[in-house]
Parts: sequence; C-alpha cells; structure tokens
Amino acid sequence: MTEAPIPFGQEPSEQRSEQAMVVAPQITPVITAESQSIPDVADVLIIGAGAAGAAVAWRLAQAGFSVVCLEQGQWINPALYPTKDRNWEILGRHEWNWDPNKRGRPDDYPVNDAESAITPLMFAAVGGSTIHWTAHAPRFHPSDFRVKTLDGVADDWPITYDDLDPYFDQNDMMMGCSGINGDPAGPPRSERPMPPIPLGEDGTHVAAAFDRLGWHWWPSDSYVNSEPYKGRDECNYCGPLGFGCTRKAKSSTDLTYWPEAIRLGAVMKTYSRVSEITVGPDGRATGANYFDRAGNVQHQAARSVVVAANGVGTPRLLLMSKSEAHPNGLINSSGLVGRNLMFHPYTITTGLIPGLSETWKGPMGNILMSQEFYETDLRRDFVRGYAYQLNRGTGPLATALGGAHEPVGWGTGHHEDFAERFGHSVTLAGIGEDLPEEHNTVTLDEQLTDSNGLPAPRINYTLSENSRRMMDHSIRSATTVLEEAGATRIMANPLLREGGWHLMGTARMGEDPERSVVNQWCQAHDTDNVFVVDGSVFVTAGAVNPTPTLQAIALRAADYIAHERDDLKR
Amino acid sequence: MPTTDRRITDVDRVVLTRMLDLVIPPADDFPGAGGLGLTERLERSSLRYGRLRSGLLAVLDAMSLDMASRVEGGFAALDEERQIAALKTVETNLPVQFGEFIELVYETYYTDSRVHERIGWAGRPPQPEGFDLEPWDSSVLENARKREPFWREVS
Ligand SMILES: Cc1cc2nc3c(=O)[nH]c(=O)nc-3n(C[C@H](O)[C@H](O)[C@H](O)COP(=O)(O)OP(=O)(O)OC[C@H]3O[C@@H](n4cnc5c(N)ncnc54)[C@H](O)[C@@H]3O)c2cc1C
Ligand code: SF4
Repeated sequence: MTEAPIPFGQEPSEQRSEQAMVVAPQITPVITAESQSIPDVADVLIIGAGAAGAAVAWRLAQAGFSVVCLEQGQWINPALYPTKDRNWEILGRHEWNWDPNKRGRPDDYPVNDAESAITPLMFAAVGGSTIHWTAHAPRFHPSDFRVKTLDGVADDWPITYDDLDPYFDQNDMMMGCSGINGDPAGPPRSERPMPPIPLGEDGTHVAAAFDRLGWHWWPSDSYVNSEPYKGRDECNYCGPLGFGCTRKAKSSTDLTYWPEAIRLGAVMKTYSRVSEITVGPDGRATGANYFDRAGNVQHQAARSVVVAANGVGTPRLLLMSKSEAHPNGLINSSGLVGRNLMFHPYTITTGLIPGLSETWKGPMGNILMSQEFYETDLRRDFVRGYAYQLNRGTGPLATALGGAHEPVGWGTGHHEDFAERFGHSVTLAGIGEDLPEEHNTVTLDEQLTDSNGLPAPRINYTLSENSRRMMDHSIRSATTVLEEAGATRIMANPLLREGGWHLMGTARMGEDPERSVVNQWCQAHDTDNVFVVDGSVFVTAGAVNPTPTLQAIALRAADYIAHERDDLKR
Repeated sequence: MPTTDRRITDVDRVVLTRMLDLVIPPADDFPGAGGLGLTERLERSSLRYGRLRSGLLAVLDAMSLDMASRVEGGFAALDEERQIAALKTVETNLPVQFGEFIELVYETYYTDSRVHERIGWAGRPPQPEGFDLEPWDSSVLENARKREPFWREVS
C-alpha cells in the first residue's frame, strides 16, 4: 500500500505539538462578517486586507464611509505562530514558508516565477504580508521622488516627500514605531513613539566597525515594540521576526489598523477571493465578484473600489477584470498594468566573527541600517544607490542549511564548519534601488491556476546591468565592514533569489494617462471610482523597505477620498 | 530499495542509518546522526513533506543501484571510503534530490534536543521566554551623531 502524505494540519510525530501544526482552521476573528451588518452597496469596497488596505479602511471608516473588505485569507490567531513549538524551525520552512509556492496553502495563489531572477514573497490573511514581515520601517528619501530631475533616470513621482510627511507620522503612531531622531542620512522628522530596540553585543560591535571606517549607520526604525504599546507587549528579543510574533510585539495590520477600522464599522469578509472587478456600461466600477469559502461566486456591490492586493495581486486582478469598456483589463488603457515590476535586489554578505557569540539572541533584523551608499555618486559605475540592514545569526537548523549561502557541508568537517558559523555570524543585507523597466512584468499564466481555477500570476524579471553593478559594489563594501569587524570568513550571495519581499511598480502613478495608471491620489486615470493604493503605484523603488511609504501613500489617498469624494457616500 | 509502492524496507533502514552517520558523523564521543537513532523520526517526518520524501526515496533507490554496492552485496558491505564515494556519486548525478535528502537529514538532526544541548542552543523554542539584550544605550551614537546631514535636498 502506498503511504499517503500526511494532510496539512495533522500531527505526524509526537515531537510536534498539536497546536502549532493546525494552522488553517479555527482562527479566532476579531469580528466576523456574519456578525456585522453588510451594506448591499458599500461606499468603498477594499480588495486585500494587508498593509495598505487596512490603512485605507481605518481612515475611511473614521470619515463615515461604509467600508467592506474582501480578503482571500483568514484571521490568524497569534498564539498559533510556530515560535512556541519545539519544531519551530521546521514549521518555518514549510507551513510558514515565506514563499506561497512552498507553503501551498489553499488561501494562497501560486506564482509562476520560473522566468524571474527573484521569487516574490507574500502572505494571504487579514494583515496580508505584514503577518510575515520583519517590520523594518525606514522612510523613502526626498531624492527618491525626483530621480529623473536629479539623475536623469526613470521618472519623477507626481508627489514629494513633504506631501507624505504627515502620513508617515500618522502611520508610525498607528503601527507603533521604535527609533530615534538625529539620523544625518534623512530629513528631520517627528519623534517616534518608542525608543530604539537595543543593538545587542553584535550590533554594537558592527556599529563600531562602521564608525572606524567613518561610514554612516543608525539604529533601525522598526515597527516592533521596544516597550508596551497600545495594548501589545514589548519585544522579548526571541529572534525569528519573520514567522509572526506570539507576543504581538511586532506590528501587523490585523493587530493595529483592522481592529480600529472594524470598531468604526468597517466590514471584513474573509475567505473571499475576488475574481473580477465588475463595471457598468459606462466603464465605472460597480463592485466585485468573488468566490466565498464554499467556492460559490458572490457579488458585492459598491460605489467605489480600492485595490490593495499588492504589487503582484493587484495587476493580476486588474488583468482578470476585462470588459467591453476595458478590453485590456481594468484601468489599463496605457498598457502599463503589470509592467515595470520592481523588486529590491538583495545581496547577502555574511561574516563569521569568532569574537561574537550567540548572535541568534535578539530580533533577526531591525538592528541598524547604513545609508552610506544611498544617494547617487557619479564616481561609481551605477546610478542611484543601496542601503544595508544588519541581520543576526539564525537558529541551528537554518544555520546548518546555510540560509542565503551554501549549506554546511556533509561528511568530514561537518561539525567544524557548523561550529564556525553557529552563533558567530552577522550579515549585511544590501538592498538596492531597482529602476523600472517595462519588460519586467506580471501577466496571467495560461496554465497555472489557484484553488478556484483563476489564472496565477506569471513573473518575468531580469536584473538590470545598473542593478548588477550596484549590488557588486554592495558586496565589496560589506566585505570591508565585516573585515573591519574581525570576520575570519566571509560568504557572499550576489543576488538572493528568495528575496522578493517588496513588490512595486505594476500600476504606477503619474500625471500623464498614457504613461501611468493612477494619478497622485491613487485614482485611476481611466475610471474615477477605482483606486489602487499598494506598492503597484510606486514610480521608482528607493533603496529602503517600502511599507511605511506605501502605507503613507494609502493614507493620503484615503484622505483625498474623505475630503473630496462625498459623491461616493450613500 | 523502496518497494514499488514506495514503502521503505528494513534493508533500506539499515542503509539509511549508515548514510546518516556518513552525512553527520560522530563527533568526539557524541554519536552521528545514525547512531542517535534518528532514522525512524526522519522517515516519519518525510511523510509530511512530499518534496523531501521524493528526495529520500530517490537517494535510496540510487544507493541500491550503485554498481559497487551491487557487486559487494549491498551498501552496508562496502568500506567507509567506498560508501562515501557512492554517496558522492549520487550527489553528482542527482543534485536536486540529494539536496532534498540532506535537507531532511539536517531538519531531523538539528531539531533534536540532544543535539541542541551539545551545540549550546537554548533547550527550548524562542517563545515564550525570549532572550535578554542589554538595554538601549544612546552613547553608542556618539560618533554617528557628529556627522553632518548628507541626504540630498530637492527643490
Ligand atoms: C517575509 C517578509 C518580510 C518583509 N519584511 C518587510 C520589512 O521589514 N519592511 C517592509 O517595509 N516591508 C517588508 N515586507 C513587505 C511588506 O510586507 C509589504 O510591502 C506589504 O505588506 C505590502 O502591503 P500590501 O497591502 O500592498 O499587500 P499585502 O500586505 O501583501 O496584502 C495584500 C492582501 O491582498 C489579498 N489579496 C490578493 N489578491 C486577492 C484577491 N484576488 N481577492 C482577495 N484578496 C486578495 C492577499 O491575500 C493579501 O492579504 C516583507 C514581506 C515579507 C513577505
Ligand atoms: S524578536 Fe520580538 S518582535 Fe520578533 S517575534 Fe520575537 S518577540 Fe516578537
């Protein structure tokens, strides 16, 4: 008899606790749509309950709009995250993998990334990818919005840093930011609500190396609580930030914006996968069709639709929403929906420093950032620039499997190799500014489908020459820092394939309807009642993690709707 | 060799235990992965994750087809040098499947509490206790604060 694979959620071994394996069902919602009154016609229908959708829902519910959100995933109970389980590292590699193709949960859609140098990473749930994220919370620089003017590349944004400044602050308060003022790499800004996360022995050690070289570093801005904040615990430095935080010390929008939005009347419909945004004969949106949990097609009518399904999910949905009025997909008269996909290419340079021990103690990331090489310097062989994030060592299994590097070798020498790495490694992750290129795309796959039979997104992405030169520079400079810090062995990965955390550019904003999809308020050029509020609208990528910037853009768009679009209110 | 219905046989288990000891050998007086008795757990674990199961079965199949093993009457009958050579041949010929097999071995070995104790890992998962860090000390910024602002102003 064939031994059947053990189905998801069942216990194969006494070594695993029953609780942490059961990831899928019985998740406790803050509130369910069944217990809320759902308007027949919502003022605003939000698609996607991640970082951006949550911010818009909160602001518009506050402004008195009736808000309904359709989310393909479910509520996740933080108590079920794997870090309390003895086998947390195994669970993190499988059930909680960052790559939806490896997780293979029915809530996720698969992604065809065979033709992409970088694998897109995301999570489907209330909270979206903030369930998994590491909550690094830097802001774009003023120069990031003016790359054409300053450096003659790509395009300027139709907005400036100053336009976003108040929304950055608002978002920092809602999400809870730990950090400290005075960073010479960025403009002056308001105080964060919490002090920085401590650097730890390893962070202090590497910071001193930056100091000796005269290179910039600053404690990371982080949406991780350094002290109790708004009913959530402070971080207890357990380490693996990226599998969800059982203490709720790491901010995710299921814990921040959504409870507030729901208290203000927003309705959350989980297990609701949108297949199409529907339009009337005039081409304006009328709502959306979606699959409910039982696989039945339902319709939610709305006066406006806000798409917040992320830089891959949004173009996918827009391309699936073809109609007579929008034959190339919704709001796609420019042909740019799904084009100009940007990731941040990452290099991973790891130093083994015998003088450090137990580098697995403390949050895996969010220690310090260096922006020494952020701005364009014409003496280099690339335009724009990159930043560094310092990361710590990992647990035993991740160390043995090498993380971004070759695994510890098997056979003779295995134990020596492991001992050299474990507890002694620190990593400088170089995050580079990717420039938009139209041939980097999200399209609809002709074969691969999700659990409802909808076409999966297909990614075509190659790394540009400029990015390649930039990332090579980042390895050389990281090596200099790590040598200065006393590393006796350095391992470098020139492009982290499993590093597509940041999904941008696939429905860009701009003033010209022929060169962009939405205007500066995230409103579609083609249809005045469709908005896109996620990383899709980015014109360029900057060289920092994008989420505070995309949430600030979402809050600004919501403010516009609240003040200028009374016509959308019943 | 696993049976045609893909079950692992007792002979496979003997081979597997030996392979585990070659992949992660004993260190000082601490047994290797085979000597620790991890074979059964590894086998159970492979049932959960299909990709790793395929790797395991492919490597076991390949070992049983290995020419030297066949001539000598099985992998277990080879001396250590030739056993290692047989494993290296599989690694070269089936790199993906061998990588999955190694992943499974490491997953099993490096989540074992005895191994955790030996390597000095806290004998518990990260939560709920967490770890300690020295409190934030702003004096570390003394140098960094001396730097003039260097972000690019835009008009
Ligand atoms: C492991 C990891 C680490 C990260 N670390 C950082 C970090 O440190 N700092 C940082 O700034 N960023 C980080 N990011 C990126 C960050 O999480 C994203 O930028 C952010 O969550 C994007 O917000 P969003 O609202 O656009 O999309 P998401 O948060 O991805 O939310 C989109 C939601 O839309 C839903 N959806 C998609 N399609 C449909 C559909 N058809 N119908 C219904 N629902 C749908 C999805 O299920 C999902 O919940 C990380 C990401 C990952 C995966
Ligand atoms: S390091 Fe801190 S924020 Fe991250 S999971 Fe652990 S307790 Fe939560």
